[in-house]
Amino acid sequence: MAEDRAPITRVLIIGAGIAGIQAALDIANSGYEVVLVEKEPSIGGRMLQLSETFPTLDCAQCILTPRTVEAGHHERIRLMTFSEVIAITGEIGHFTATVQRKPASVNWDVCTGCGLCQEKCPTKVASPFDRAMGKRKAIYTLSPQAVPNKPVIDREACTWFTRGKCRLCEKVCPVHAIDYEQQATTTQVEVGAVIIATGYTLYGLENLGEYGYGKIPDVVDGLAFERLLSASGPTAGKVRRPSDGKEPKQVVFIQCAGSRAPETAMPYCSKICCMYTAKHAMLYKHRVHDGTAYVFYIDVRAAGKRYEEFYHRATEEDRVIYVRGKVARVFRDGDQVVVWGSDTLSGASVEVAADMVVLAPAMVPHPETQRLAEMLGIPANEYGFLLPLDDNILPVETTRPGVFLAGAVTSPKDIPETVAQASAAAAKVLSLFAQWSGVPQAMETPVGAEAS
Amino acid sequence: MKRIGVFICHCGINIAGTVDVKRVAEALKDYPGVVLATDYMYMCSDPGQSLIRQSIKEQNLEGVVVAACSPAMHEVTFRKASAQAGLNPYQTEIANIREQVSWVHQDDKEAATRKAIEHIKTIVEKVKYNESLIPLSLSLVKKALVIGGGIAGLQAAIDIATAGYPVVLVERSDRLGGHVGKLSGVYVNFNAARDLLESKLQAVQENPRIKVFLETEVEELGGYVGNFTAKLKHRGDNGGEPTFSEHTFGAVIVATGHSLRPLSKFGEYGGGRYPNVIDALTFERMLAPDGPTGGEIRRPSDGQVPRQVVFVQCAGSRDPEHHMPYCSKICCMYTAKQAALYRQRVPDGQAYVFYIDIRSQGRDYEEFVQSAMTEHDVLYVRGKVARLYEEDGKVIAWGADTLTGKPVEVQADLAVLATAVMPAEGAVELAQRLRIATDEHGFFSEAHPKLRPVESLTAGIFLAGTAQAPKDIPETVAQASAAAAKVLSLFSQRELVAEPTIAYVDEELCSGCGLCIPACPYQARAMHPWKHKAIVNEALCQGCGACVVACPNKACKLRNLTPSHVLAMMDAYLAEV
Repeated sequence: MAEDRAPITRVLIIGAGIAGIQAALDIANSGYEVVLVEKEPSIGGRMLQLSETFPTLDCAQCILTPRTVEAGHHERIRLMTFSEVIAITGEIGHFTATVQRKPASVNWDVCTGCGLCQEKCPTKVASPFDRAMGKRKAIYTLSPQAVPNKPVIDREACTWFTRGKCRLCEKVCPVHAIDYEQQATTTQVEVGAVIIATGYTLYGLENLGEYGYGKIPDVVDGLAFERLLSASGPTAGKVRRPSDGKEPKQVVFIQCAGSRAPETAMPYCSKICCMYTAKHAMLYKHRVHDGTAYVFYIDVRAAGKRYEEFYHRATEEDRVIYVRGKVARVFRDGDQVVVWGSDTLSGASVEVAADMVVLAPAMVPHPETQRLAEMLGIPANEYGFLLPLDDNILPVETTRPGVFLAGAVTSPKDIPETVAQASAAAAKVLSLFAQWSGVPQAMETPVGAEAS
Repeated sequence: MKRIGVFICHCGINIAGTVDVKRVAEALKDYPGVVLATDYMYMCSDPGQSLIRQSIKEQNLEGVVVAACSPAMHEVTFRKASAQAGLNPYQTEIANIREQVSWVHQDDKEAATRKAIEHIKTIVEKVKYNESLIPLSLSLVKKALVIGGGIAGLQAAIDIATAGYPVVLVERSDRLGGHVGKLSGVYVNFNAARDLLESKLQAVQENPRIKVFLETEVEELGGYVGNFTAKLKHRGDNGGEPTFSEHTFGAVIVATGHSLRPLSKFGEYGGGRYPNVIDALTFERMLAPDGPTGGEIRRPSDGQVPRQVVFVQCAGSRDPEHHMPYCSKICCMYTAKQAALYRQRVPDGQAYVFYIDIRSQGRDYEEFVQSAMTEHDVLYVRGKVARLYEEDGKVIAWGADTLTGKPVEVQADLAVLATAVMPAEGAVELAQRLRIATDEHGFFSEAHPKLRPVESLTAGIFLAGTAQAPKDIPETVAQASAAAAKVLSLFSQRELVAEPTIAYVDEELCSGCGLCIPACPYQARAMHPWKHKAIVNEALCQGCGACVVACPNKACKLRNLTPSHVLAMMDAYLAEV
């Protein structure tokens, strides 16, 4: 390290979910520059896919979009979306990261985000953002409130790329922003510190044959159910089952699908499922008054402020039926989905003929996180969650000075905990930057002298 | 008349798909005062903003109405754009025709279009009356007060001081460390709590910017963000009179921790009368090498090593009828740890854990509880202990196993209660002195449960640790650093800038009746010492308007939302389209 170079008071934040956004805002609002890298075309992460949030049932978009907008317009935050960090070298004070931007096939400098291309595009594909509960066009943004609100072309779906036909978006674009020739670009950014906030993804439920996921259309995962509940989702908030669009009258929610299962999947608890399942069942009952909701659980884990009370509300006010037991099999019978399980409280076996089944899959780290960890030399546990320096007293610090962790990248956690951790990581960065820039050094006088 | 420009946003198809934006522009064109009404695909985009800037200059606009999405989204954007073109930003207002019109009236385009027109007209009327305002600037003392010297307070103080700012840390007791200082080892790695704490204590002691006051409490807190004045009460020596000191701070972190529900509240478990029924913190002391037994497990009645120990979880938690309705969050984990440590130290002893649900949520927590069951042979019984009583020197635990449906009776030598986590003693009184809110149990209320977990609703006062809700050490430490981040953010400003759209008093009309003073929820009102007129503390006022409603003489007004504004807006809204 060249000692003569002053350390750089700029931070790289990898991942622009709620953790990355919160850390970015805390640091940028303290006067330092932030480079915020996100692999999706727009920021917001998982939280933007949620309908309402426990335990207050605040609409996720309503509370998050002011933050995405603030991050998007912040003069000290440089957004690099549709991009990934492919290399990172250097050390605290002087990291160099290579950021690769995927080709959007749209010139974002020119695009006004008018949305005409998306309106006219004739190709529809299942939307990953909607967990395949709805469709999107081949040229798309993740949502109408996307930040930045600029589209990208899905080259695997677009007929120009697959079959050499169409170019309709090019014709309708009033500012000639479509660029089918666009290439991936790489940029180098120089930063003094790094925050990794790459979040989580969901365990592949196809691996668990007993639930019929991937084979039975009306067996969906919790995130797909979020999209069905979301007012801005594919069904405008109406609960419709995928197979025939009917309103399901009997819904079975199965917790710990792949969690707490050391023999078959993940041994750990995914922490958030008990609460979001209680919320799912509750919101389902709010929308389908004559419906019945069953929840299969091992333990109800409602540990958090007003969480226990929320769970009580689900069982008492909304009459959600909780069955303590594991599900042995889910299979199709006519247009119904039959759930076989056991009630460990009565010892009896249980069979529910349901219209729809919602699984709460285990949270797992993004596979790309492993690569990042290797580049930076940060240890991960056997499942790929990154390890902080000390779980108890150094929860956001890592073995690599200048590199910090925030959110679900270290272990499953819910939004408030993620937000607190993101601000904690920001505090560590702010502390470093303050020392490097010497801003408050005028305050050398010991405090409290005036007290005596 | 003021020259006003109206800019109608399509928001792609979000607005234009429901509202006929061309017709709206046409309808506004000839409205009195409007010199320009135009529409554009995305007003918030760069070309949209430059259209506004250009029009302000070319048309000499004195007011701007942007008909678009909620002001929560883009008010700042458009006011900034106006300022760039030389227009006072408070002459720019948003008419929300997305959330309040197009999104809620998708089925009736005609009515939505009419409503959008009415909506914009009311905002045009408002802008006609708007004054040019300048944001208020408030001075900022870059020094923090941290209340509570547990792990949360220590961590917050370290983070703020490391960044270079002075901190005063006050602790009510005669030592730092709080509850962590009393623990044996921590889950899930059994590391000695004392060692973990020592590193933090050392960092505090070595930092010249942290001044610690032990045996000190906050007697009074006045002022507001950036300029709090605190009166600290220091306990007198040898029972003498307390002394007081006064300080100014820019920010306050409240980290007063928790207490435990006392055994006397548990009639069903003997109410504290049985020596061999103890709470978990007492058991921690027994396990701790620096504890009264030097780490040996001895039952209080006769000092014998207990051969059968019953651990009772949820003692006072999750029990809305008799105790606290909430979950105390940490008990499942420390009970597993205590039972495992007991089994390590008393290999021929038997440990029973009565539980409702096992809540082991955290990295390696689930595995930790599993190992307590399998490796340490702790016997978990799902069920609540209904009663504990003493008989022939034994503690009898009476309960039901909800898995078998059968009653269970355990004759134990010692019972350990995982008593409910409660707010620290005096938390509610402290909250009143600090003017922050608590929930019905006395835990301090955060500004928003999801996105603002460490801020109180009072600007400049932040929360950390179990004072806000039960939580374990990792979460507490993260929250403490998060609270420190908020303070560092605040202190990074040169001065504080506040919105000028707040209340003022028309002295000609004020009769000095004082009704506005109790009406103000922010303590921003006072009586002038000799003029006998109400005055507004501009730093505290949030512009809520409660004083406007309370004032019988119409002497209280909000800047840019005066009765003249409101009446003109009403007239415009009620007029025929």
